[in-house]
Amino acid sequence: MSILTYILGWPLIAAFVLVFVPRNYRVIIRAVALLATFVSMLLAVKMFCQFVAGQAGYQFEQQIPWVESLGISYHVGVDGLNVGLILMGAIVAFAAACCSFEIQSREKEFYILLLVMTGGILGAFASLDLFFFYFLHELALVPTFIMIGVWGRGERKNYATFQITLYLSVGALIALIGLIALYLQVPADLRTTGKIGFDIPKLTEFFRNNPMAGGAQNFIFPLLLFGFGILVSLWPFHTWAPLGYGSAPSPTAMLHAGVLKKFGLYGLIRIALPLMPQAAQHWMQILAWLCLGNILFVGWVAMRQRNLNLLIGNSSVAHMGFIFLGIASLNLIGVTGAVLIMIAHGFLAALTFGLSGYIYRQTGTLEMGELGGLARKLPFIGTALLMAALAGCGLPGFANFVGEVTVFFGAWKVFPVATGLALWGALMIGALYMLRAMRNVLHGPMPEKWSGISDAAHVWRKLPYGLLLASLLVFGCFPRLLTEKITPDLEKIVEMVRGETIAVGSTRVPRVQFGVPPNCVGARTIGFDQMKDGKLSQRTVSGTTPETTRETRGLPAVSVRALAGNTILN
Amino acid sequence: MNLEALPWLILFLPLLSATAITLFTMRCRTTSALLSIGAIVTGFVLTLSFIAANGFHPAVMETSANWLSIGNLNIDFGLRLDVLSLMMVLIVTGVGGAIHIYSFGYMSEDRGFSRFFACMSLFTFSMLGIVLANNFIQLFIFWELVGVSSYLLIGFWFEKPSAADAAKKAFITNRLGDFGFLLGIIILWWWTNGSLSFDIAQQQAQAVIKSPYGVTFGDNFWLTIIGLLIFCGAVGKSAQFPLHVWLPDAMEGPTPVSALIHAATMVAAGVYMLCRVILLFNVEASHVIAWVGGFTALLAALIAIQQNDIKRILAYSTLSQLGYMVMAVGLSGPTQAMFHLTTHAFFKALLFLGAGSVIIALHHEQNIWKMGGLRQKMPVTFWTFIIGTLALCGVPPFSGFYSKDSILAQALEQRNYPLFALGVVVAGLTTFYMFRLFYIAFLGERRTGVAPVSHSKEAAQAGDESLRQAGSLSYEPHESPPVMAWPLRTLAVFAVIGGVIGIRGIFDSQFISDTHAERASTFLQKLFEPFAHAPIVAIIGLLAVAAGFIAARMLYRNAESDPLPAKLGWFATAMKNRFYFDEIYEATFIRAHDFIAAVMDWIDRWLVDWAGIGLVRGGTDFTGRALRLMQTGNLQTYAFLFALGVAVVLYLVLGK
Repeated sequence: MSILTYILGWPLIAAFVLVFVPRNYRVIIRAVALLATFVSMLLAVKMFCQFVAGQAGYQFEQQIPWVESLGISYHVGVDGLNVGLILMGAIVAFAAACCSFEIQSREKEFYILLLVMTGGILGAFASLDLFFFYFLHELALVPTFIMIGVWGRGERKNYATFQITLYLSVGALIALIGLIALYLQVPADLRTTGKIGFDIPKLTEFFRNNPMAGGAQNFIFPLLLFGFGILVSLWPFHTWAPLGYGSAPSPTAMLHAGVLKKFGLYGLIRIALPLMPQAAQHWMQILAWLCLGNILFVGWVAMRQRNLNLLIGNSSVAHMGFIFLGIASLNLIGVTGAVLIMIAHGFLAALTFGLSGYIYRQTGTLEMGELGGLARKLPFIGTALLMAALAGCGLPGFANFVGEVTVFFGAWKVFPVATGLALWGALMIGALYMLRAMRNVLHGPMPEKWSGISDAAHVWRKLPYGLLLASLLVFGCFPRLLTEKITPDLEKIVEMVRGETIAVGSTRVPRVQFGVPPNCVGARTIGFDQMKDGKLSQRTVSGTTPETTRETRGLPAVSVRALAGNTILN
Repeated sequence: MNLEALPWLILFLPLLSATAITLFTMRCRTTSALLSIGAIVTGFVLTLSFIAANGFHPAVMETSANWLSIGNLNIDFGLRLDVLSLMMVLIVTGVGGAIHIYSFGYMSEDRGFSRFFACMSLFTFSMLGIVLANNFIQLFIFWELVGVSSYLLIGFWFEKPSAADAAKKAFITNRLGDFGFLLGIIILWWWTNGSLSFDIAQQQAQAVIKSPYGVTFGDNFWLTIIGLLIFCGAVGKSAQFPLHVWLPDAMEGPTPVSALIHAATMVAAGVYMLCRVILLFNVEASHVIAWVGGFTALLAALIAIQQNDIKRILAYSTLSQLGYMVMAVGLSGPTQAMFHLTTHAFFKALLFLGAGSVIIALHHEQNIWKMGGLRQKMPVTFWTFIIGTLALCGVPPFSGFYSKDSILAQALEQRNYPLFALGVVVAGLTTFYMFRLFYIAFLGERRTGVAPVSHSKEAAQAGDESLRQAGSLSYEPHESPPVMAWPLRTLAVFAVIGGVIGIRGIFDSQFISDTHAERASTFLQKLFEPFAHAPIVAIIGLLAVAAGFIAARMLYRNAESDPLPAKLGWFATAMKNRFYFDEIYEATFIRAHDFIAAVMDWIDRWLVDWAGIGLVRGGTDFTGRALRLMQTGNLQTYAFLFALGVAVVLYLVLGK
């Protein structure tokens, strides 16, 4: 049995066990949920530490055939792309379970749903089978709706439930159409177990050697892009997110905003990009501008919010923009940055929603006009919230900074204007709304009515926040823990998209020295697979956009350009 | 002896102390203070021993470890040790150490004592990080961390709305500069094809600038862009025009913070950074830098003339002096800039600590018109303050004279006569506003409890009741305790001798490659060096100082209220209101963002949301209604639809 099966299995088994626990055994219910998520988290940490960076193929793989005629099998495994996501998901799940003390009614049902959600989302990330990939995501998604509807707060709770259900179901449906269409691109005789079926690695391998027809790519890619995009609150399909998170109980918001939302992004990188490179190249031009909708438009909307949770929700949507920008850049640096933000934002979103949930429980409101000066009464929670806010506006030391700055470096070559605007969104707009919120919530004089509130008293209450903060700091200060594992596998994906090898690797490129003779300028190389097959696919040709040529021949180019007196404005 | 581990220790000790205080000793006030003071003083001692062992030019100038490596994005975490960084470490730990010790007395009554020292240690760590960084991203990381520790310390009394607002403003204004800075770094990385190290980037820039074939338009264009964007970072951090507005507001923080962060070290980080990467700047960028610096110097000096809050006067004076330094950088005189930075760190920290001593003695009174007659009551503060004033004004043989004179001489050497004239005018203005402050606040009669300038905004701010203890209006000033007086004395010594102990020569060895013999070697030669080197500059500078002093003496010697507004009219009002920059920014930058935000919010609420929900719900609804027509229960309709279906099928089958 793979360790992954245990990681996703414990929460699901615990959920099953809880069904048989009487509802008045509250302590036991809570203990079971905490224990299951805790074990799952420990196993995820172990898995992360044991993961060998750069090893070919998937690790901790396990495959059990299920429906042979359709080619469906239970198949899990990790590579650099999802190893960090699973770790993040498991940590956030444990933190969410810790924060669930705020639920006071129908606890049994809540914990069951929470555990199902946890198992589902961890499974979706671990799954290497297209069917389970989608199915486990839906398994995690549906509890969200119920939890918001039953345990949600605020007067717009019902509308929020309605809206989030509508949007996410439609998004998931569009993605499903795309995935089925993708499956149908495989010749009928290969659609069984042992051949290709729903197996993601085999699909990838197949389409690497037999590129999909251009027409099919242009049909399927937008379905996946917008289907997954809606799930990730891509502008202009984002309005479900702030209201939904604002109305959700905080453990749900933590899990959904932190972990579940990353599913769409993961799907884009894992499936859409490598399988449909030609369409990806085309659509990324559009995505680069759509992501500005997230970063700038939603950033501005966040500035207008009067409710802390709506502000955090909008800020979470805005952060998705950086990930989209990184993906749109379609180069190793940008996509790595995108994955880094996915992980960092998972911790961050969970942290901020957890903290706002704590404040809500103390004050009964999150209207910023009514709050103020809480830092005096809530030293721990206040400090954590301030740190979260600073992490949210990209302060170095927190993992978000590493991801954002990497995305900017990657995207600059491809979309300079969009990168400049995104930078403005990251440094200015983010700081404006975050600091205003902190000014209104934590600083200034405290209204008399909050003199009775109390800080997180004992270790159990502090634990989830401390854990999430520590994760942000560890990956922010030592980003190589992640990048060393991520880059080798992302490199393969990026190679597939670009249809050519990129002259950079995970190994350190020696620093550029002066006087490099011009003949060292790397000629554009062709993907190894195409060389081996002896044919040049259409992809290779289409990959030669001006940006890619600049990138590939560019390595020692500035020095050369400079020496030759060439202009850089080419 | 190499002692290579020492710089790492120096860098990380304050971080360790900040962490330890935050996690463990928040409740134990004295331990927290001792941890923080211990970290910075140990840092100072270790720096001295490192320099003693290795000199200012260690054999191993850079040590680094890889921090992040993706493709050709390679970011190191390393330390660069040369004259520039080692001297700056000495300033940060030395002056900072004095201020830490002073804070032990100044903050002793405050309930956030431990938090204060945790933030101070965090600041020291970040500042040392800037100083020791060997590449742009590392610099930027610590740059931001310095910004955040400044945010925390300005907003230290966060319950006071003005302090909370000032903290926010400082951070956001700094962020505006950092936006340009980071963009500049990214463009630089792209333009140099992947180098972020100071050394390599500067080599490449120099190779382009000094290319035998001449600089192409494109290269020059990008170099100018990069230079100006990187300069943006310095504009934000060193509070140069047009981003100078945050620094005076930053005086809301405790006075030791103003001394350490907003006078001696952090605001100087911009100048330090410019000197660090000075070879990146081409002629065009240097020109802009020089003029921005010069203009800031003049603007701030003019504003300082009409301020009434003792800390704000000093803050504008800091702005003005930073303008000098930036101007020196633009006039390709990094030695002069760093020299002035060093002496300024001594005397401005001294002035702020003196002001803090006065403020504490008067129970948080900051309006100079409510002071007066402090000479007898506070002798140590009085004498050290006058030393600081003389040094700032540039009176020989105090340290400020030498450094300011060297900047003026550089302006003349570069044949930039307008900037030279501007520098001289600012020198006169500096003397004027400093002696105005000195005459009103320290000399004359005690003005107990009367507020002759009740119309001033500062009076209202200084009168914040939340901080003042009851009965503060009938104060009895007293000298500060020894823990505050000794740092004053120490800094005073350096403010006097800072100009003649060879600091300039040390910096020269960094920037001037041809090793000509030092111009002045003996003490006496050093003392009269400015007169020997460029006598005209020294004399013109002294004349300006004399003019400023005489004007201040005539106007303020026995003044009960400010005579200047009557004489200058609207110009004085404009100066008092800081030339309305805050109002202008409020009306443009902030309002623009708020306006856009309002529009976007409206669109989001009423168009995007409506369209998303409306289309799906409306579409489903519409389809339902349309399909309902198929099942009316009406037999004729069914028959018609049946016939229609048959017709379609027949067409499809037979029509082909």
